[in-house]
Amino acid sequence: MLRLREIQEVFAEGMTAGSYRAMADALPSDGSALRSVALYRRLIRTNYTQVLRITYPLLARLVGERFFSLCARGYHARYPSTSGDLFAYGRHFPQWLLELDGVRLLVQLARLEWACHEVHQADDTRAPAVERAEAGAWADPSSVRFRVNRATRLLACTVPIYRVWHALQADTDGGGYDGGAEPNPVPEETGLLVVRAAGTVQVVGLSPEQFLLLHAMRDGKTVAQVERMAAELVPADQGASLLAMLLEEPTRSAFSLEVDP
Amino acid sequence: MSWSPSTPIPAQAGIGLRSQHFREILEAPPPVAWMETHPENYFGEGGAPLRILERIRSQYPLSFHGVGLSLGSTDPLDRTHLAKLKCVIDRFEPAFVSEHLSWSSVGGRFLNELLPLPCTEESLDHICARIDDVQTVLQRPLLIENVTRYLTWRDSPIPEGAFMAETVRRTGCGILLDLNNVYVNAVNFHLDPFEFLDELPAEAIREIHLAGFDRFGRWLVDTHGQAVYPEVWGLYQWAMHRFGPRPTLIEWDTNMPPLSVLVEQATQADAILGGCCVAAP
Repeated sequence: MLRLREIQEVFAEGMTAGSYRAMADALPSDGSALRSVALYRRLIRTNYTQVLRITYPLLARLVGERFFSLCARGYHARYPSTSGDLFAYGRHFPQWLLELDGVRLLVQLARLEWACHEVHQADDTRAPAVERAEAGAWADPSSVRFRVNRATRLLACTVPIYRVWHALQADTDGGGYDGGAEPNPVPEETGLLVVRAAGTVQVVGLSPEQFLLLHAMRDGKTVAQVERMAAELVPADQGASLLAMLLEEPTRSAFSLEVDP
Repeated sequence: MSWSPSTPIPAQAGIGLRSQHFREILEAPPPVAWMETHPENYFGEGGAPLRILERIRSQYPLSFHGVGLSLGSTDPLDRTHLAKLKCVIDRFEPAFVSEHLSWSSVGGRFLNELLPLPCTEESLDHICARIDDVQTVLQRPLLIENVTRYLTWRDSPIPEGAFMAETVRRTGCGILLDLNNVYVNAVNFHLDPFEFLDELPAEAIREIHLAGFDRFGRWLVDTHGQAVYPEVWGLYQWAMHRFGPRPTLIEWDTNMPPLSVLVEQATQADAILGGCCVAAP
């Protein structure tokens, strides 16, 4: 008679390695066990596929049910679950698509959906110094730095993922995300800002200049440095509007300000 | 109406709280007595889920039904998971906290499925020690739920009902009796559901689950994706007359219908509870 530990180990081994022989000593020898094992494999596979479908609803919609299910099986073989809490189960899915030499569009859409998933439940707190900093923020711009908030992600992209994301959103219930207005016609898509503002996850398509400025802000540049960058990136008469965009919602929710000691 | 955590969940019907219904529940709170949710869905550090649950908690008694603790695993208890569970319990003060009499991981391998334990003396010692440990950390009694199983272990000599009864006796935990699981197991393995129910200590049954199943080949599978079947309603009626009325949850996790369907099912459960001739404990 096997010990409980042995029973659990051989069953798990059989499930993950796909070998019935490993678990035969724990199960009845009347042939019924084969049907049981097949059903459990199916249930477990379905669970993981469902978790990925919830995390990557737009990707699943884009590639179709059959292809997505195949991807889910491949992903689980490469990146099995490591926790009883499945929130982070799909974390490596974009990487897995990349390893597959997958289409860039799919990889980048997966990155965007993972960012939305994380931001949805990220910590609400802003940098603690924000109120003090905002009070005197512009008094000495060289001593005030941007700090990215935890419910924020900045993504670089090389394909027009924002338009794809927006188009796919139109046919869904939104999933708690705010698709916002129709995307502005940006000449080159360079980046996306994923931010939680006013309680919803919002995705903002960025021009190359906006992306560079936000990237600098994320890296902790001072207000003065960002102002100089804006002046260098665009003609003088457009610099103010570029900076103004950073101070409007939803972008404003992405950053706090911190005064250097 | 606000609700104090010291108020027990009434012996009436509640529904499972799922994100698809958040908006509708907040805009027009449905006429159900309480709600239940998976605490793991609120392990995040912030964002809309926690805010929404706070609003719902201010209007309904709440119950937490865990799915990720792997209570029966022979691995060490996942202290991180347990700490997160404690944190959301402290924050939302649910009336009940339940987990499954099952395991889902071993040796660092996670299957994330509610796998049955073999009913042996060794398993009994093991699960009782684990429940003791969890109850000590959470500082409250746990309800344990009978699970569906799609296999029989080669060595499992103790009847499942007697196994649960002894677990209750040793640990002081309560029972969350899932009648759909009882029915599904009875059909799949040609068992008498009443034998199982007769072995349970009535006073330990604190909550009932009702759900629907699907048929996969020769198996009935506990998918929580259908309305409660007439056979399960029949079992429920029998159980409520036998044990007395208990807080009863309509569980629905897949193939999610409009909220109104869940409310209709809860109303049907309430009608049965209202007709019970045995008083609530």
